Amino acid sequence: MLVTVNINGEAKRLNIAPGELLLDALRSAGYFGVKRGCETGECGACTVLVNEKPVNSCLMFAAQAEDADILTIEGVAPDGKLDPIQTAFLDHGAVQCGYCTPGMILSAKALLAGRPDPTEGEVREALAGNFCRCTGYLKPVEAVLAAAQVYRQAGQSARRKSGRSLGTSRKKR
Amino acid sequence: MFDHIECFYRPSTLREALVLLHKTGKRGAIVAGATDIVTRADRTPRFFIDVTHLGLDYVRKKGRGCTIGAATTMMGLEKSPIINRLAGGILAKAAATCGSIQNRNMATVGGNLANASPAADTAPVLLALDAQLVAVNSRRKRRIPLDEFYTGPHRTVLNGELIEEILIPPLPGGRSGWSFQKLGRTETDISLVNAAAGLQADSRGRIKWVHIALGAVGPMPLRAREAENLLQGNALSEDSITRAGGAVMNQVSPISDGRASAEYRREMSRILVQRALRECAVQAGFPIMN
Ligand SMILES: Cc1cc2nc3c(=O)[nH]c(=O)nc-3n(C[C@H](O)[C@H](O)[C@H](O)COP(=O)(O)OP(=O)(O)OC[C@H]3O[C@@H](n4cnc5c(N)ncnc54)[C@H](O)[C@@H]3O)c2cc1C
Ligand code: FES
Ligand code: FES
Repeated sequence: MLVTVNINGEAKRLNIAPGELLLDALRSAGYFGVKRGCETGECGACTVLVNEKPVNSCLMFAAQAEDADILTIEGVAPDGKLDPIQTAFLDHGAVQCGYCTPGMILSAKALLAGRPDPTEGEVREALAGNFCRCTGYLKPVEAVLAAAQVYRQAGQSARRKSGRSLGTSRKKR
Repeated sequence: MFDHIECFYRPSTLREALVLLHKTGKRGAIVAGATDIVTRADRTPRFFIDVTHLGLDYVRKKGRGCTIGAATTMMGLEKSPIINRLAGGILAKAAATCGSIQNRNMATVGGNLANASPAADTAPVLLALDAQLVAVNSRRKRRIPLDEFYTGPHRTVLNGELIEEILIPPLPGGRSGWSFQKLGRTETDISLVNAAAGLQADSRGRIKWVHIALGAVGPMPLRAREAENLLQGNALSEDSITRAGGAVMNQVSPISDGRASAEYRREMSRILVQRALRECAVQAGFPIMN
């Protein structure tokens, strides 16, 4: 079956099997930043934003994404210019093997879109669904807090940034 | 994993969904947030019917109670001002423990109940709140008290029906207190034991109304009626809290599994109920006698 989805600001038609999971559909379409981890909703490596909310793509059917706006890590720096969250992850040594990183950054992006000035506790809660086997939790938390400050100083919220990177799709569902 | 699925339906009206449910019969399965469906990987369904586009995502106040659309997500409950004000916000608290943000953005309350896991976190709360389910199929609509909904682990009385909404009747106001208690490996992990309680005191400091419910301590979530009967009409005392805990331990029938032993669950059922009663008493400004 065909589903029409907006991925990283581009309208796409994906040819999927009726029971295909969104994780598989995205990876088959070349979005390899969507990582396959536990496939049981525990680890968050497969996190994508669906209509601006983080979800585990391993627990969602691709058919359910019809007409949705999806943001994967590939869409976070579309023109090659890193998002402040990405820069902060690099600056703070928050990336080790990098497997959990796309999911962490997307969870952080969703948090900062709604809460430009989060507390450390809120950052920890936002990242609680993203497991890191290299066990670096402290640095990602520091990185997200630093990125929040960068956003605030630049006077832009993560939401406006993601709105722009989503290009044509401004429609709120 | 789901190669055997022949068609994924996404109806946009309840009527359409009910027709599909009727047509596909035993080979059709309802999908909401999919967080249980995918992890359970039951291979019998050939058709999936998505119920997340039927307009069943709502919370409406109804006097001192409310109605909740079955497809309301856990995040929707957590954020709902109505749910946060209802019964000391215990339903919002329980919803906020149902896994990570990623999970709660998808997981629905209808799915949490219909999946009929003995450990489902909204179940003891909704049992304590006397919730009823509105179940529909293409021919009829009926109300099912949640207390009569479960028939065993992952088994319910639903018969080709869809849960449309959940009704919470008017709740006691005045001097009342509410509590949700959960014991898990982490705050958002599957419960080893969970419990909910609500109580109301009369002007003379006696218990006028009390409901206690538990999960993960038997084949299905249950109301602790013996403990309720012990407490009803009496003042709350250290002694009555102890006896209520004892009654709960006698009523539960937990199993041992990879998460916890039956003995531990039984002991914790007592502890959680006692903690819940104490929290209710504090909220209700209700003294505990010695
Ligand atoms: C990592 C992880 C952690 C979790 N942690 C918790 C936790 O801490 N506490 C907890 O309680 N649960 C937890 N869960 C379980 C799960 O997320 C919840 O039970 C969730 O509420 C299920 O809802 P859903 O919409 O995803 O259901 P689905 O998976 O879509 O459906 C579940 C079942 O309900 C049926 N169904 C769904 N909607 C309806 C309806 N309207 N009418 C009739 N039948 C219906 C489906 O046919 C299916 O049998 C967790 C799950 C995962 C993967
Ligand atoms: S792969 Fe989806 S949560 Fe682990
Ligand atoms: S950096 Fe390796 S899993 Fe997190």
